[in-house]
Amino acid sequence: MIARPPIRNEQGARKGANSPALSARLLRFLPRLILFTALWLVIAGSDPSSWIIGLPTVLFATLSSLRLASAQPTQSALRLGGLLRFLPFFVVESIRGGIDVASRVLRPRVRINPGFQSYRPRLDHPGARVLFLDSISLLPGTLSADMRDGVIEVHALDIGSDLVPELQRLERLVGRVFGQTLEEDGA
Amino acid sequence: MDEPTIALTINIVSVLLALAGIFFYIAGTVGILRLPDIFTRLHALTKADNLGLGLILLALLPHAPDAFYAVKLFLLWVLVLIGGATGAHLIAKRALRGDGEDIH
Repeated sequence: MIARPPIRNEQGARKGANSPALSARLLRFLPRLILFTALWLVIAGSDPSSWIIGLPTVLFATLSSLRLASAQPTQSALRLGGLLRFLPFFVVESIRGGIDVASRVLRPRVRINPGFQSYRPRLDHPGARVLFLDSISLLPGTLSADMRDGVIEVHALDIGSDLVPELQRLERLVGRVFGQTLEEDGA
Repeated sequence: MDEPTIALTINIVSVLLALAGIFFYIAGTVGILRLPDIFTRLHALTKADNLGLGLILLALLPHAPDAFYAVKLFLLWVLVLIGGATGAHLIAKRALRGDGEDIH
């Protein structure tokens, strides 16, 4: 692994203004701490002895999450309406994806025509990009293989059909989850 | 419907869902064995596991002792989805760029 340079230099620059920086850091720290604590509670249950492992795990998760996210400070506001439209779509596509891949591999002769296609996403929010990348891999016939310079390399089980309309539809839905509206046709 | 009938119906639905889940896990395994390269194999892994696990957790859901447990089952699915999709992306990326270890 390559050692990464410290990425929290914007906080070092504000050393003079101590109290606003502190409260800003607390604001970034607390929601994550609460989220990971809740996650641990759900996974491990309410047994107090589970916190012997849980407390360090939650703290490490919070710190690494802060460190990884601090490169791009953004407002992350999930839209409930967007999420409610995304989830049923995601479930339906998951079922289609599973049936698609099962029907391809269970034939006497495997029916694939694999290949790559490039796609340039228009999503701004880093969280939206991650959701988009991961959702592509769960959609029927597509897998997000690489992302470089803002271009996603999509691997397809069947390159014969055009992937762009499906990807644009997914991108619009992901955009709405993060409050970004994309036009119908790719500009 | 009386209570035994409801319990029986729930059990039948559970068994059918679990069988469907097992089918997709087997399909995923067959995919890994039959597909020709790393990228197509990742397709089989991510999609079949997503649906297989989803169906098995759905089969277990009516038997959850409390709501807390049901949330846990749902959370397991979400975590495996994130882990599976992210892992597949990272493996594909390394294979595509050819800078990982153990590349043929």
